[in-house]
Amino acid sequence: MKRVGIVSLLIVLLLSFIMVWISSYRTALEGAYIPLEKQKEEIAIPSEKGVFERAMFALDYAKMPIDTDHQRSLKSYYQNRAYYGAPPSISHPVADERNMGGMACLKCHENGGYVEKYQAYTPVTPHPEKVNCRQCHVVQKTEGVFKATQFKKERFSKVGTNKAIRTSPPVIPHSIELRENCLACHAGPAAPKEIRVSHPERVNCRQCHVFNNKELSGTKSFVRE
Amino acid sequence: MYTSVLLSDRRTFLKKMAVLSAMTAAATMFPGILFAEEQERGLPKGGNLDWKKAPCRFCGVGCGVLVGVENGKAVAVKGDPKSPVNKGLCCVKGYHSVLSMYGKDRLTQPLVKKQGKYVKTSMKEALDLIAEKMQTTIKDYGKDAVSIYGSGQWTIPDGYVASKLFKGCIGTNNVEANARLCMASAVTGFLTSFGADEPMGCYEDIDHADVFVLWGNNMAEMHPVLFSRLLDQRLKRGVKIIDLATRTTRTSMAADKVILFKPQTDLAIANAICYEIIKNGWVNKSFIERHCNFSKGATKMGYGLKDKYKFKDRPAKISFEEYKAFLEDYTPKKVAQISGVSVKDIKYMAAYYGDPNKKVMSLWCMGMNQHTRGTWMNNLVYNIHLLTGKIAAPGNSPFSLTGQPSACGTVREVGTLTHKLPHGVVMNKKHREHAAHIWQVPVENISPKPSYHTVEMFRALDRGDIRFMWIQVTNPMVTMPKLKRYRDATKKEGRFIVVSDIYPTPTTDIADVILPSAMWIEREGMYGNSERRTQYFEQMVQPPGEAMSDTWQLIEVAKRMGFEKQFSYKEETHIEEIYAEYRRHHEGEKHAMAPLNVLKSEPGAQWPYVNGKSTQWRFNAQYDPACDNGKEFHFYGKPDGKAVIWQRPYEPAPEEPDNEFDFWLCTGRVVEHWHTGSMTRRISVLHQAMPHAYVEFHPSDAKRMQIQTGDSVKLTTRRGSIKLPASVNERGVPVKGHVFVPFFDENVLINDLTLDAFCPISKQPDYKKCAVKVEKV
Repeated sequence: MKRVGIVSLLIVLLLSFIMVWISSYRTALEGAYIPLEKQKEEIAIPSEKGVFERAMFALDYAKMPIDTDHQRSLKSYYQNRAYYGAPPSISHPVADERNMGGMACLKCHENGGYVEKYQAYTPVTPHPEKVNCRQCHVVQKTEGVFKATQFKKERFSKVGTNKAIRTSPPVIPHSIELRENCLACHAGPAAPKEIRVSHPERVNCRQCHVFNNKELSGTKSFVRE
Repeated sequence: MYTSVLLSDRRTFLKKMAVLSAMTAAATMFPGILFAEEQERGLPKGGNLDWKKAPCRFCGVGCGVLVGVENGKAVAVKGDPKSPVNKGLCCVKGYHSVLSMYGKDRLTQPLVKKQGKYVKTSMKEALDLIAEKMQTTIKDYGKDAVSIYGSGQWTIPDGYVASKLFKGCIGTNNVEANARLCMASAVTGFLTSFGADEPMGCYEDIDHADVFVLWGNNMAEMHPVLFSRLLDQRLKRGVKIIDLATRTTRTSMAADKVILFKPQTDLAIANAICYEIIKNGWVNKSFIERHCNFSKGATKMGYGLKDKYKFKDRPAKISFEEYKAFLEDYTPKKVAQISGVSVKDIKYMAAYYGDPNKKVMSLWCMGMNQHTRGTWMNNLVYNIHLLTGKIAAPGNSPFSLTGQPSACGTVREVGTLTHKLPHGVVMNKKHREHAAHIWQVPVENISPKPSYHTVEMFRALDRGDIRFMWIQVTNPMVTMPKLKRYRDATKKEGRFIVVSDIYPTPTTDIADVILPSAMWIEREGMYGNSERRTQYFEQMVQPPGEAMSDTWQLIEVAKRMGFEKQFSYKEETHIEEIYAEYRRHHEGEKHAMAPLNVLKSEPGAQWPYVNGKSTQWRFNAQYDPACDNGKEFHFYGKPDGKAVIWQRPYEPAPEEPDNEFDFWLCTGRVVEHWHTGSMTRRISVLHQAMPHAYVEFHPSDAKRMQIQTGDSVKLTTRRGSIKLPASVNERGVPVKGHVFVPFFDENVLINDLTLDAFCPISKQPDYKKCAVKVEKV
């Protein structure tokens, strides 16, 4: 009887050892497992998302007095672009060659401001989320050319000619890719004076201003017979 | 004459420009006023423009515009700074609206179909033919074989004479309007909850509310001017905008919070919000005790898919405890399962509705109205506002937006629906007597039985119960759901269709007689907008060719049918006479309309217009002189003066995606085009911005099916199929498993695919939900 008791006790001990071992093994496995997190679905409409981005500054833009002595003009705006819609080159020397985004360019170009040294207002970028600025924007270190080019700057659209009737809002004559945020270029002290909007507080710009260059995709233009 | 003060006083104004600080202050306080002046800078100096005021031609917002007329042509538009609706701002359609009159293919002469070909005739001949055809149809098939199908773009006089001719003189209730397709659920929602149609609040609520909940409403595109007022308030006061939707849109991009839900589950969400309000003790107890009843109605009503479908609700009073028990099925946890909205988001919304220190405005339009349970959905949102007592006071406002410029003014107030009279309904003897007295017709003329609602009217045309239909200011051959059946119906032998329009459309294509109409400011008239505002416009330019106003077309035919006595209006003054006669229907504190001289001198007036004042908030004793129960609020539409909180359950949509038709199909509009585009597509700026319809996909569906923007896609439902280009990540993004198609494009008739299921109470079809199969071709 005693022997049976001892044997069964040993069996119970063995079983419980196995159980404990299995469960601790499993827990260990679990610890090593990094579960795949279900990616949060992000809503993004490229052509729409930026429209309202700087809307919070709209009232400030509206109240801001115009500093007529230091305005940018469309001429200088286009001067440092190779063609209509090209990324502008950097028109000032750059001290920090390695840093990017928030560590460098965005310090000034995210919200703008007056720079005494250049007697000018800093242009605001319409796409501050693209932080590798220098991928597209380069410094002009020389005025000379390697070889002359035959490339001619395309004529850019003029101001004041792109409306259907005298009092109607002008249409948007350019692509808005990377420039979905209207207020970045059309409001504030760095906006070229010809295209500075008189009513920055109206933040749903595209309620009135529509494209004139919508591409027909996959369908022919429909003409009613 | 109505000219801009700023224009006539231009020089002094320019001097003021120097005072920069004052100007900027003005700009922030009244952005619109500065804005209209800004527009004038584009005008040549010494121009000979004559500015006249009108409500905008397009949507139900009812912006005030000033139209610049020069040498008999409308050449410019600007927002009317004096209008309290838009305060000087318009949208892209409004600014270009005058161009809609000058399309090259304007209809200028009547066309009569003879041996399959349209022959130009004189107006006299065409009107003779219509009158004769109506008389022979009545003789051969009875008076219920003739019908008129009008529009929320009818002016008030148009709708009034149509109702008087058909209901009063001919004696048939076959009067319907396209507003059945857009506002009927809103109407039945108001009638069941309050017993009186149209919003109790007004647009000024926007200036007082702290939180805006948009129920399935892409306001940034569909009601852009009002949305700009919301955005304005956010800049100034930091209000919150919550976009509760089934699709990501421009509105979502501007909103503070986007909550996406599964189609049809808005019913459950609204109930869950009510559950939370009660559970957390946010109920305004004294308000519901004094001003509310609880009721339930019939459920499992069906969807009206079969011909001659009939439904009658069986309302029964219930107690608050019973209502509370019913809501146990709608705990946030259960509703999260049904709707796909997280428990947290449901509680988030409920907390705003429940917070006594937050004023909440709910806004909706087609998302809730074009819904097979549209009436219920309207009731449910009112429930939320009634439970919390956030109603009929500045900033606390459930606000039903309208789609058409006079959906309220003409269809709802004049009552151009089968069951309606200018004041009251045909079923009520007193109302019939009242109308018959003013119309000078025997009361027996007015039938006490409503006949056909819109979908059933076209079904009756198909069956042959209706033989003659006169269609004015609308384009049903683009907008009817399950379109093919109804298009085929119009082409059947022995049907006679008259279409009054300004341009050739798919609807004029099926007409036997086409009448050229004078539109908008080519004639005199009034519209009534969403906030009960009636606005007048004078004739500013001459209509082209023989084009004639819809009002006068109807009068001419009525006279030819022998109703000279009832239609003895003089041509020069008929609008004034008709309006004066119409006002008599609405006399009394609850619905009085402003006199014409007020409408002429002011940017509209809101009814009830009592003691020379517009009423901004109805049912609130502080603002509404019709409240006479001695309490703070009086819902006088109901006999006991109490509003009704309805027990309305969630019921699924009639057709849901399955294995074969595995996507949801939703249809709607875009900011550039007005409804079927017959006007806006003839405006080059708008056409170039939005040249054709497309089908929107969620990027992950597009990736899975290897579809890119521009690829041709075939959509098939049980009703038909069409091909159209895809749009991925452009204007809007539907959720996974959904597609969206705008309906403006007559070249891509999406309504060949939609389902003609409707709300059994309102009879308004649901254009937002059906099952569709998608193939890349």
